[in-house]
Parts: sequence; C-alpha cells; structure tokens
Amino acid sequence: MKKFFEAIVRGVLTCSGFVTSLVILLIIGFLFTEGAGLFNEPMVEEGYVLALNKENDVSSLTAEQIKAVFDEDIVNWKEIGGRDMPITTFRLEDVERYFTVEELGSEYEHVGMCIASLIARSPGMIAFVPQSMLPADAEVRYIDDSTISLSEVFAGTEWFPTATPAPLFGIVPLLAGTLWVSLFAILFALPFGLSVAVYMSEVASERMRSVLKPVIELLNGIPSVVYGFFGLIVIVPLLQQGFNLPVGESGLAGSIVLAIMALPTMITVAEDAMRSCPRSLREASLALGATRWQTICKVVIPSSMSGITSGIVLGIGRAVGETMAVLMVTGNAAIIPTSIVEPLRTIPATIAAELGEAPAGGAHYQALFLLGVILFFITLVINMSVEYISSRNKYKLR
Amino acid sequence: MKSVEYPSRYAVRKRYAQRVAFWLFRFFSLFIAFILFAILGFIIYKGAGVLSWDFLTKAPSDGMTSGGIFPAIVGTLCLMAGSAVVAFPIGIMSGIYMSEFASKGWVVKFIRLMTNNLSGVPSIVFGLFGMALFVKYLNFGDSILAGSLTLGMLSLPLVIRTTEEALKDIPDSMREGSLALGASKLQTIWRVILPMGMPRIITGLILSLGRVSGETAPILFTCAAYFFPQLPTSIFDQCMALPYHLYVLSTSGTDMAAQQPIAYGTALVLIVIILIINLLSGALRRYFENRLK
Amino acid sequence: MNRVLLSILCGVCGAALMSAYAQRIKGSDTLLPLTQELSESYLKRNPASEIVVTGGGTGVGLASLLENTTDIAMASRRVKFGEKMKFAKAGFDMIEEVVAYDALAVVVNPENPVNELTREQLEGIFRGKITNWKEVGGEDLRIVVYSRETSSGTYEFFKESVLHNKNYMSGVLSMPATGAVIQSVRQTKGAIGYIGLAYLNPYVKALAVSYDGGRRYVLPSVKNASDGTYPIVRPLYYYYDVEKAAMVQPFVSFIKSADGQCMVEKQGFVPVRNEDVTIK
Repeated sequence: MKKFFEAIVRGVLTCSGFVTSLVILLIIGFLFTEGAGLFNEPMVEEGYVLALNKENDVSSLTAEQIKAVFDEDIVNWKEIGGRDMPITTFRLEDVERYFTVEELGSEYEHVGMCIASLIARSPGMIAFVPQSMLPADAEVRYIDDSTISLSEVFAGTEWFPTATPAPLFGIVPLLAGTLWVSLFAILFALPFGLSVAVYMSEVASERMRSVLKPVIELLNGIPSVVYGFFGLIVIVPLLQQGFNLPVGESGLAGSIVLAIMALPTMITVAEDAMRSCPRSLREASLALGATRWQTICKVVIPSSMSGITSGIVLGIGRAVGETMAVLMVTGNAAIIPTSIVEPLRTIPATIAAELGEAPAGGAHYQALFLLGVILFFITLVINMSVEYISSRNKYKLR
Repeated sequence: MKSVEYPSRYAVRKRYAQRVAFWLFRFFSLFIAFILFAILGFIIYKGAGVLSWDFLTKAPSDGMTSGGIFPAIVGTLCLMAGSAVVAFPIGIMSGIYMSEFASKGWVVKFIRLMTNNLSGVPSIVFGLFGMALFVKYLNFGDSILAGSLTLGMLSLPLVIRTTEEALKDIPDSMREGSLALGASKLQTIWRVILPMGMPRIITGLILSLGRVSGETAPILFTCAAYFFPQLPTSIFDQCMALPYHLYVLSTSGTDMAAQQPIAYGTALVLIVIILIINLLSGALRRYFENRLK
Repeated sequence: MNRVLLSILCGVCGAALMSAYAQRIKGSDTLLPLTQELSESYLKRNPASEIVVTGGGTGVGLASLLENTTDIAMASRRVKFGEKMKFAKAGFDMIEEVVAYDALAVVVNPENPVNELTREQLEGIFRGKITNWKEVGGEDLRIVVYSRETSSGTYEFFKESVLHNKNYMSGVLSMPATGAVIQSVRQTKGAIGYIGLAYLNPYVKALAVSYDGGRRYVLPSVKNASDGTYPIVRPLYYYYDVEKAAMVQPFVSFIKSADGQCMVEKQGFVPVRNEDVTIK
C-alpha cells in the first residue's frame, strides 16, 4: 500500500516536472493553428467579390493593387496590365448615387440586378459587392480570389489590417519597429548596465551594495504599465519640449522606457557572472602589480564575457517582448522607421491594441496570432542563444 | 632618465584611469537609483493627495472621474490568489522533481531549457495563448478563472526555479542522514528537505505574486473589465484590475483632467503593493537567514 | 492530468455560465463612458440588478455577442454585412437599437491658427497628400496626424465619412483610445486628430468643417449635430439577441426614456428625440 502510494506521488511529481514543456507545446500549438489559418483566408473580405465588366481582361490583382485602386492612387487600368481606360470604383454604399429608391425596390430586392446591369454597361468599373447579392447569371467577370500569400505577409511593407476590399498584412514595418526600438533601448542601457554591474560586483562597498540591490530589484518589480504611465506623462512631453520634436510619442521615448526596464535583467545577470569569476584569477592579476581597474578590464570582464553577453541578450529579450509601456509611448504608426525620433509600431503593441477589436476567427485575428508566433520565435531564439552562450562558458572554465 | 621615469608616470596614469572609471561607475549607479527614486517620488508626490480611505474602499463613479478603486484592488487580489492556486502546487512539485528525482542528464537539461524558454515568453504572448485556450477553446469566457490560469502559467517558471534552487542548496548530508535512519525518499523530502527549503521557496513565491500583480498584457483579453463596480461573486465573473485600470485611466475616458489624479492614485496603490511585496520578501529572507545562523 | 482537470473545469464552467445573472455589456469605447454612467444610475434605481460594462471596441463587442460572452453589444457603427451573415448562420435574430448619436469633432492644438477645413482638405491630410499646415492656410509646420486604432468604430466611421472609404496613410499615429488622442493633440503643436463630441474639452480646439466645398463651415456642437447642419454624425447602437430581450429590456428602455436621454445629452452625445427623426 505504502509502495503504491509512493509510486503515485512519484508519478505526479514527474508529470509536474514536464508542465513547462506542456505549456510551451500548448502555446506553440494554439498560436500556430490560429496563425497559420491566415494563409487560408481569401484576399478579399469574406463573402465579397470584386466584379468587373465582361470586356475587361484583367483577371488578377494583388492586395496592394486593390488597395491602390480603391484609394484612387491607381486611376487607369493600363497601370495594372489592362486596357487604357479609367477606373471607376463601386462600393455597396454608392448604390444610391446610381439608382433611385424605386429602381432598387422597396425591400432592396432589385439591388443585385441593378448592380449587375451597372457593371455591364460601364466598362471601367470595379465593384466590391457581396457575392450572394449578384444574380448567378450576371454578365460580369470576377477577379480571381487567391488566398493571402506568404510573401505578401512576410515581405509586405504595409499594415492595413482593416482595409477594404483587401486587407494588407505586411509585417515588415512592425518587425522593423520592434527591432529598431529594442536596438536603441539596448544601446542606451548598455553603458549604464555594464557600469552598474561592474560597480556592484567589484567596486562597491558592502553597504553600497545593500542599497543598490533592492533598488535594482524594485526597478524590476515596477509594473510595465506604470513605466508606460510615467513615460506618457513625463518622458514624452519632456522629450518633445527638450528636443523640440514635432512628435513626442516616438521610438526615442519608447527606447528610453525600454532601456530602464531592461536594465535590471542586464545588471543582475552580468553581476552574477562577474562575481563568479574565480578569486585566484583576480589575485594573480593584482599580484602582478595591476590596479583593480586593470584587473577588471583585462581579467574579470574577459573571463565573464559570456555571462555579460547573456545579460545583454536577455535584456534584448525583455525589450522585444514588452507591451504596455511601448503601446503607451511610441505613437504606433505602422511605418518602417528611418529615424529614432519618429513614431513606430511594435509587434506586441499591435497585438495588444488590435486583438480586442479584431473579429474572432477572421483574417485580422489570425494575423495577430501570426504576429504572436513570430514574437514567440524571436524570444525563443534569444533564449536559445543565451543557453548556448552560457553552456560554452562552462565548458571553457573546465 | 626616461626609463626610470616611465613606470612612475605609468603608475600615476593607471591610478588616474582607475579613479575616473570608478567615479563614472559610481555616478551611473547613483543615476539608476535616481531614476527609481524619480519615478517613485513623482508618483508618490502626485498620488498621495488622492489617497484616502474612500479612495481605497469605493467604486469608481461619474464616468471614472471620482470615487475610488476598490473593485480594482479586490480584482487584483483575486487574480493574485487565483494565479497562486494555479502555479504554486504545480510549480513546487515541478521544482521538487527537478531537484530530487530527475536523473541528471538530458531530462533535467531539457526541462530546464523549457522552463527558461517559458520565462522568456513575452507577456502578450501569454495573453494570446490564454485567450485562445481558456477563453475560446475551453469556453471559460473572459473571467477570473481564465485570467488566473493565464497568470499562473506566466509565473510558473519563477516558482519552479526558486523551488529548485532552494532545494539544491540543501546539503546532501541532510538527505543521507534521513535515508540512513530508514526514512523513505518521500518522507525525507516531506519531513527534511521541504521544511529546510521553505523559507527561500516562500520568498520566491511572494516575488512571483508581485510579478503577477503588475501584469496587464495577459489579462487584457482574458479577464480585465473596464468597469465592474460590484465585487466579483464567482470565478466566472470578470473583474477590474489595478494595472488595467491605470491603463484605462491614462488613455481613455471623457475627462482626462479629472481622471489624472485618480490615475496617479492607482499607480501609487499598485506601487505600494509591489513595495510591500518586495520588502516582505526581503524581510523574510533576512529573518530566515538569521534564524539559520 | 492537467487536461483532465481542465476538461472537468470546463464542464463546471458551462453550467455556471448558464446561471450567470449579471447583464454583460461589451463593445465600443465610444459608448463606454455613456453606458457606464447610465448603468451607474440604473443600478441606483434597481439595486438588485447587476451590470458589467467592458470596452474593447465595436468588433469585440459583436464578436462576443456571437460567442455568447456578452448580452448587449455596444456598436459605434452599423453591423457589417459579413457580421450579419455570421449572426444569421449562428441562428441569432438581432435587435438593433439606436441609443444616441455622436458627432465626430476634428481637433487641433489650441495654438494652431487654422479654424476651418473642408472635407477635401481633411481627406488630403489624413491620406498624407497634405503634409504641412501652410498648404491649408496655417503656419509652416509639419502636420502630425493622430488616429484611432484600426478597427475601432470611430476609425471606420471617420474613414467612411471623411475619407470616402479610402485608406489613411500608413504614417498616422494610432492611439489606443480617445483620451490618448486628446492628450497628444494637446501636447503637439502640429497635431490633428478626431474625437467624439462628448470628449471635446478646452485643451483642444475643434475645427469647423465644410462638406460643400467651403461654402458653409459648421462647428461641432450638440445643437448643430441634432439639427443636421454638422455633417460628421453617426448613430450609436446596442445590439442584442431576441432571446435576451426580456432580460435587457429594462435597461434599454431606461436609456431611451426621457431621463436616460437627458443623461445622454449631458454626456455630450446627441439624444435620440424620436425614432423617426434620423440625422442625415
């Protein structure tokens, strides 16, 4: 009986040991199934078609072309491989401009017929209408509706998830924004992080350490939304006035906030690494007449390089995944950033801002899950490289 | 001449370099402490005036421009408790397994890798995951249950790691002594190892609660309510939460000027909770350390 | 083991959801403060009932209605054709109630000398064709365009009404909520943005807008919106399923009552005077 009980407990403990692996698998599974669904979604909004006149020989358009056509940036069919005639766009809301209420019928029962006849008699028209509305025998041609392609998403430079008729899910600006703001955050944090780590592990007195340690812990503990709030209320106006910027919400504000948030991770890991540098190495260096500073530069830092690198990489990981603070201070403009004082939009901020409003199960919803997958893999790569760096170090010390 | 002079000049220069470098380090360190105190000071300064008994015990009213934040405080406490219920038992068991049972080798390596990876997953990804699994797939809806489960997953790695480290540090002589007296492995763990590791485990648990109390992104789509003046009555209710409330107050609403003091107050309460948690875990750590001596 | 536990919990949950008593209202952030205020005073009169109000946007409200995680969806736009089809497929019979009208005000920084813009100019600005204030009679200053998040009803309505369904330029700054737009326009000299009339305050300056090519400019106000002279006005809706009608009716009729509509007006929205009067 007792043996049996022990076996059960042992089994339960073993199961719980794999709980993190299970969670990771679940995360991958759920994010992937939702995210991959994006590529099965039709390019044009579900239930709708793009109808052309019979005479028109354009048969396929990319999502970007469709957007340009409906934005009236492309105004002639010859620009997109058709014949030389002007484009007229038609949306359902325009129906009252072309037809009287009598023609449409009291319960709008003739709308489909009306639209079909309108398309038939206007050669340059492109109409964005519900498929079910047009009669089956309508004299129109349809634009081939392909599914959203990989290249449109991964190489697309425009993020217009709610554009009609064809949403654009180009992730390049978001990815660039995320990396750009994290890069600057690390550049800002690096001098501070390293000096504080060196100071705490090598220079500071025991008393100073006992003050700084809780300070760092507390910095780590402050919720990101409080950082965001502080950034919004203090840092954004300060930067705007201080540098006389046209926009206060910018990558700069974001990277400063992120730098502060990434510091504790960086400091703690780097400091641990330096403290575990063997005493014999230090003493040998000092015995040879080197000053403490020389010892730090030439002995302690090189020998704990892998730990310091891990700290920096973990800091990057923290910056890349940070959501609320960035959402509140970076301005969220989905453009590929060219300077740090311009607004930009990061992947986590996009998810947080848009998921609530995206209809569940739709293309937009799936696109946001795809962003989640990408973010997950970025952090996975970061963690793996930390793992790799620190395992290499252990090997070296042996 | 030169060869005699050189070392001393070199000595001067290296001392000088050291002094400059150390001053720079000291300055940077103080600057970081300054940043912390600037943030804390600013929020305390602006928020202290708002803080009152009514603020802590009343629901928001008049479109969030007056009243208090009681439901948000209760909501945050509920979520902390909920996540503790989810994460603590599993996390501690997992930690025990890692330190006591798992055969050294690829299993431990693999689990540790997974735990580290999980701790690096951004909180918004937990939010997405929680929404997909708990809210949608298991159909819990936006609820304290879904929020707690999501936050529990998020705090798992921290709990596991602190437990494992606490138990690892217990000398093997303790285990051997107990086993030599005829105790089974489970008895040893239950009677010897766990009690000895408890202080550090508890400290870790408290810190993980601190992390949970401040998270916004995971509860955004799994639990948080914009306005829910009653207190939640079951785990299937939504609830307000301090961090989300702060986010709402600082970005939306009709009257920003009237809301701002409340936002400061909310930030202050949130920070005080974090402070208490940090101080508590620090004090506990010191208390137990002294007792061990 | 965890899976088993979760599926048990799931079963329990299903049962509990059925017996949930609180009315859940979810959706548009525009309607959020109004609904919150209304629910507060409704609760004062009917202390026995329970109302939970959550935001998240029109899209999420309607999606939740479909998933049965809310009882009323607040919407700042009419339900889309595609959504209508989804509801029909799921066997919902939706009731639509107009609870108020909202005018959108175009706002700039108070220091900006520009006072009025035509629709065409606004379209140029929000589409990125006009990038400097001097092109529309202001100072030589870059225009910083603030918008709302992509799928909020406000964003869509502004796009429909002012941009004639064309897309915003990709460089617009999207703010998570209206409060943030105000905050930013207040701080930024070259800023322009759009907010619900209810949010209008002295820290930002509303522009007079002309929809007839500059012949007549109208300032946004409750009066101008209700007599139809101000052009950027939209109805705000509540949607609910016919089956829930008995449950939500008391609250909805409270909003439509004289008292309720009085609060609507006090909040800066345009009241629904009569079902037949539509603002066009």
